Amino acid sequence: MRLAGPILRQLLTALAIVLVVFLLVRTIPGDAIDVLGIEGDLTEEEMAGRRAELGLDRPWIVQFRLWAEAALTGDLGLSLRFNRPVSDMLLYAAPSTLTLAGLSLSLGVVLAVTLAVGAAIWPGGFLPALVQALNVWSIAVPTFVVGLAAILVLSVWLGWLPVRGQLLSPVLILGLDIAGQIAKPLHEELKEVAASPFIRTARAKGLSRRAIVLGHVLPNAAGVLAAVAGLVLGGLVGGALTMEVLFGLPGLGSIAFQAIAGRDYPVVQAVIIIFALAVIVANLLADLAHTWADPRLASGGAGPGGGG
Amino acid sequence: MPEGIGPSLPTPALVLGADRPGDAGEALQRRLPDPLLLAVAVVVALILAAPALLPADPLAQDLFARNAPPGPPAWLGRDNLGRDVLARLLAGGRITLAIAAGAALLSLLFGAGLGLAALAAGPWASGPVFAVFDLVRAMPSILLALSLLVALGAGVGPVVVALGVSFAPTMAQLARAAWQRERQAGYVEAAVASGGTTWTVLRRHILPNVAGVLVTQLAIVLPRCVTSESVLSFLGLGVPPEVPTWGRMIAAALPFVERAPHAMAAPAAALGLLTLILALAGDRVRRHLDPLRRPA
Repeated sequence: MRLAGPILRQLLTALAIVLVVFLLVRTIPGDAIDVLGIEGDLTEEEMAGRRAELGLDRPWIVQFRLWAEAALTGDLGLSLRFNRPVSDMLLYAAPSTLTLAGLSLSLGVVLAVTLAVGAAIWPGGFLPALVQALNVWSIAVPTFVVGLAAILVLSVWLGWLPVRGQLLSPVLILGLDIAGQIAKPLHEELKEVAASPFIRTARAKGLSRRAIVLGHVLPNAAGVLAAVAGLVLGGLVGGALTMEVLFGLPGLGSIAFQAIAGRDYPVVQAVIIIFALAVIVANLLADLAHTWADPRLASGGAGPGGGG
Repeated sequence: MPEGIGPSLPTPALVLGADRPGDAGEALQRRLPDPLLLAVAVVVALILAAPALLPADPLAQDLFARNAPPGPPAWLGRDNLGRDVLARLLAGGRITLAIAAGAALLSLLFGAGLGLAALAAGPWASGPVFAVFDLVRAMPSILLALSLLVALGAGVGPVVVALGVSFAPTMAQLARAAWQRERQAGYVEAAVASGGTTWTVLRRHILPNVAGVLVTQLAIVLPRCVTSESVLSFLGLGVPPEVPTWGRMIAAALPFVERAPHAMAAPAAALGLLTLILALAGDRVRRHLDPLRRPA
C-alpha cells in the first residue's frame, strides 16, 4: 500500500514535466527550419514544405500526441539538423555521461559513508572536522569554479593532465562535491546511532567492532541516503552537463548544448526529459530501497525525511 | 521588498528587533565590524564604481594584441579578440551582480509572495499553487533554467526570470512552514477570534515572523544565483553574446587556455572569490537570524 502512493505521485510528476518541457520548447521564437533556411538559402516555399513534412505546422496538442505515441515505442523523432533518429544520437552519447555520473556518484557515496562511519566511531579524531570541512567546501565552492581551477592548475600550469578529454578531474570534482553533501547528514545520523543503547548492548555482549559497524551502524545510512538522493542527483545532472562542456567530453550534455544553438527541438526536449526522468526514477528507487532496508516504513511508519 | 512587508521593516536587523528590542542593536553591533561583510561591501563597491575608476572600454578590440599577457595598459592582459580583460571583468561583475540580486529578489517575491497570498486566500488557491511549486522543485534546477531559457530566449530579463523561478519553491516552502506554525499559535488564534481579517493577521503577525527566515534564504540563494548565471552564460544560454559576463569570458578563453591562461584565470578567480565571500556572508547572516541558535 505504501509503495503505490510514491509511485503514482512520481508518475504524475514525470507526466507533468514531459508536458511542460514539450510546451516550453515549442514556444521558442523561430524554428529549426529558420536556421536551416538562413544557412542553406531556402526559399519561403521550400521552408514551408519542410515544415509540413516534419509536422511543425500542426497545432501543439496534435504534435504532442504524435510525439508521445512515438516516444512510448522508443522513437523520439528525427534530429532536425542531422536528420538522424534522436534515439540513436542519445544512445551513442549516453554511455559517456553514465560513466561520468556513475563514477562520480560511486566515489562520492563510498567516500561519504567511509568518512561518516569513521567519524561516528572515533568522535575524538580528525574525521568529524574533515566531514565538516568537506560540507563547507561543497556548499561554498561551486564545482564549476573547481573545474576551472583544475584546468588552470593541473593541466595548464603543472601539465599533469590534458586540458580536454580526461575523466579524472571531473570525476574527482563531482565525487568530492557529492561526498560533501552526503557526509554531514550521514554523520549526524550515525553519531546518534553510535551513541544509542543498542550499540552499547552489542558491545557489552562482546561483538567485535567490525560486526557492530557492519551489522548495527551501517544499515542506518540507507535512510539518509534515500532522503538526500533527489537533491544530490539533481545537482549531479547539472554538474555532469557543465563538466562535459568544460572538459570537452562527449555525452548528453555536449549534445544538448549543440542542439540548443541549432534549435534542434527533438534533441533538446529528449535530453531534458531523459535527465528529468532519470532523476525521478532514481529518486523512486532510492525510496523503494529505503523501504526495503527499513521494514518499519512498510508497516505505515513515518516516511523518509524530505531532505535537508 | 514586496509591498506587503512595507516600509516599517526596512532592514533584517530591524525585522528581528520588531519583537525583541534588545536584539537589534546587539546584532548590528556584532555584525558591523565583521571583516567578511566588509569584504562583500568592498567588492560590490569596486564592481559598481568600475566605470569611474577604469575608463577602458570592455568591448573595444585590439586585434594586434590578441591574447596579450598582463601589462600596461591592460593590467590583466587581453583576450582572444584583444579586449581588455580587466575592463571586461568589472563590466561583467556588474551584470552578474545585477542578475543575481534580481533573481534572488524575484524568487522571494514569486515564492514567498505568491505562496503566502495563496495560503491566505484558502485551500482552493494554495492547493494548485503549491502543486506547481512541488513540480518545479522536482526538476533539477539546471534543466528547469535551461527549458525556461530555451523558451524565453537570450537576454538579462529571461535569465533573471529563469533563475528566480528555479529558486522560488524553497522560498514558498519556508513561507508555508512559517505560516502553518504561526497559524496554530495562540496569539494568532486570538487575533482571528477578535475579528482580525486574514489580511491583517498575515501582515501584522505572520510576515514579521517569516521575514527572518526569508532574509536568510535570500542570503543563501544570492551566491547560488551568481554561480548559476555564470554557468548558464558559460554554456551560451544566458545574456546575448555581446554582453560581457564572467561565464562568457571563460567560454571564450577556454579554447586558448594553453596560450593565454590569464584570460580564463581572471574571471575564474573573480567568480570563485565572489561566490565564496557571498556564501560565507550568507552563512553569517543565517547564524545571526537562525531562531534555533538564539536564546528563547
